Amino acid sequence: MLEGFNKAAKRRIYGLQEFFVLSGKAIGFAFSRPFYRSDLIQQMDAIGVQSIPIVLLTGFFTGMVLALQASVQLKTFGATMYIGRLVAASMIRELGPVLAGLMVAGRVGSGIAAQLGSMRVTEQIDALNTLGTDPIRKLVTPRVLAALIMMPVLTVINDFVGILGGSVISSAYVGIPTSLYWRTVFEQIASGGFIFKYLPNDFVHGLLKPFVFGGIIALVGCNFGLKTTGGTEGVGVATTRTVVTASILILVVDYFITQVLLAFLPT
Amino acid sequence: MTDKPEGRRPDDRRQANPDEHVPPGTPIRRGEDEMRVRAAIRDELEADAPTHTQEVRAVAKREAARKVIALQNVFLTFDQPILKDVTFDALGGETIVVAGESGTGKSTILKLLLRLLVPDKGQVFIDGEEITQLNFADALKVRQKMGMVFQGAALFDSMNVYENIAYPLREHTDLSEDEIMARVREKLEFVDLDPDRVLEQLPSDLSGGMRKRVGIARGMANNPQIMLYDEPTSGLDPLTTATITHLIIKLQRELGVTSVVVTHDIRSAFRMATKIAVLNERKISFFGTPEEMASSADKYLRDFLGGF
Repeated sequence: MLEGFNKAAKRRIYGLQEFFVLSGKAIGFAFSRPFYRSDLIQQMDAIGVQSIPIVLLTGFFTGMVLALQASVQLKTFGATMYIGRLVAASMIRELGPVLAGLMVAGRVGSGIAAQLGSMRVTEQIDALNTLGTDPIRKLVTPRVLAALIMMPVLTVINDFVGILGGSVISSAYVGIPTSLYWRTVFEQIASGGFIFKYLPNDFVHGLLKPFVFGGIIALVGCNFGLKTTGGTEGVGVATTRTVVTASILILVVDYFITQVLLAFLPT
Repeated sequence: MTDKPEGRRPDDRRQANPDEHVPPGTPIRRGEDEMRVRAAIRDELEADAPTHTQEVRAVAKREAARKVIALQNVFLTFDQPILKDVTFDALGGETIVVAGESGTGKSTILKLLLRLLVPDKGQVFIDGEEITQLNFADALKVRQKMGMVFQGAALFDSMNVYENIAYPLREHTDLSEDEIMARVREKLEFVDLDPDRVLEQLPSDLSGGMRKRVGIARGMANNPQIMLYDEPTSGLDPLTTATITHLIIKLQRELGVTSVVVTHDIRSAFRMATKIAVLNERKISFFGTPEEMASSADKYLRDFLGGF
């Protein structure tokens, strides 16, 4: 039993080591030739542009439900005029990055794992190797860079659409003028403080997190995809593991980033 | 050169109707043309079989007995031993067939030659260079000397036939797009596929035999010195098997390529091999010419050959 535990622990540590080696290589290859620019653009389209519909939907409905819940709670204190502040703070700092991250982990992370896993089991990864191409440079680096670039863009869209959804509910359901709603949104952003004089702290929170989440999603997907064994069943396992691991990592890392940012960027 | 049988050659398919215009992307029909090609290949294989071995030996002699591939006392273990003290070599222009029961580590030998795996003990030489100590970047360079044909062809399914064959050329040469197109057409014609019909097709649109032929065309796109084949005829019907066997022989005869073929198919092995290596119990139990194998009194070899 002890031996079994030993083996399992070694396998985990070895797996972690492989993940970090893969991450290091993938990022290192971004700064050396050959660089697969067309693959990067293709991945930015697949990861970013094609994720816009689900991000629009989740952002809009999250903003609406936030405004709805806030209106009920704030009504008790006669403070419904602050709905805009609550929606903006929640969306920009937390819900925007995390929800976009979880949605992209489900859509893109699973897609990356399934695609690379299928390539592994049909020997296409071996074929790349034998044709003198490093599969990490060709397949992983463009995906990681695309995710690092596109996740903040998706999050900004998610934030904006969420605040817009809140505006629709607060004016149509609660009866707050749209101009007042948007003024409280800007007040909230300003009240969070600024870094480098003009950059609101809320934006630092809201853009650093998706950047990290993008890296997590792409690297976890590539790692499980490239390690796929066991035919088509293995592809299914890799896909599931990617979504579960990336989602958990997003939530855990979100906490630690928030802690660090709150310590270094006091409001 | 050997006397060729009178009659139609595989290339006659294009010569028969030179004015015929075929729109790109038109699916290939298994019609009269293809049947004639297959019949021609079958006739040629039957006529060439007895003289083939002598011819390959002549090619090998021209290559001045240079060892292009060599495995020396190679040991490999994963959870359990895979290969034990495996030694064999191939001179320039030779075709070595590695045969053996399933799960005896035949495909592992190809991965060792490509340095996708590194042996625990022993040495692997490619064109005189010891490759087991190479780093990843240098291993990629050595792999450019080799073309590999995978069991399932392993064509990139996001790319069409043209892009698949052009891939190694775009990666490792400075050829212009026109030169690449000319090379791709030349290779497709070599493997008896009509470029106008297949260039734009995706791997999923091709039959198993056509995928294998495109795999061979991709493997030879860079004009490698060495071709490696992993079960090139598995899962194919007898006539397509004959077509692929014919292509391997043609590649060796016309271009003097050194080949290592992993296969179960003893009939094809006897047709194409200069030497056969039989893997049994993780060791090479026999390494010699097809004639020596056929005349061997060894019980395992007799059982292995069965009724052949």
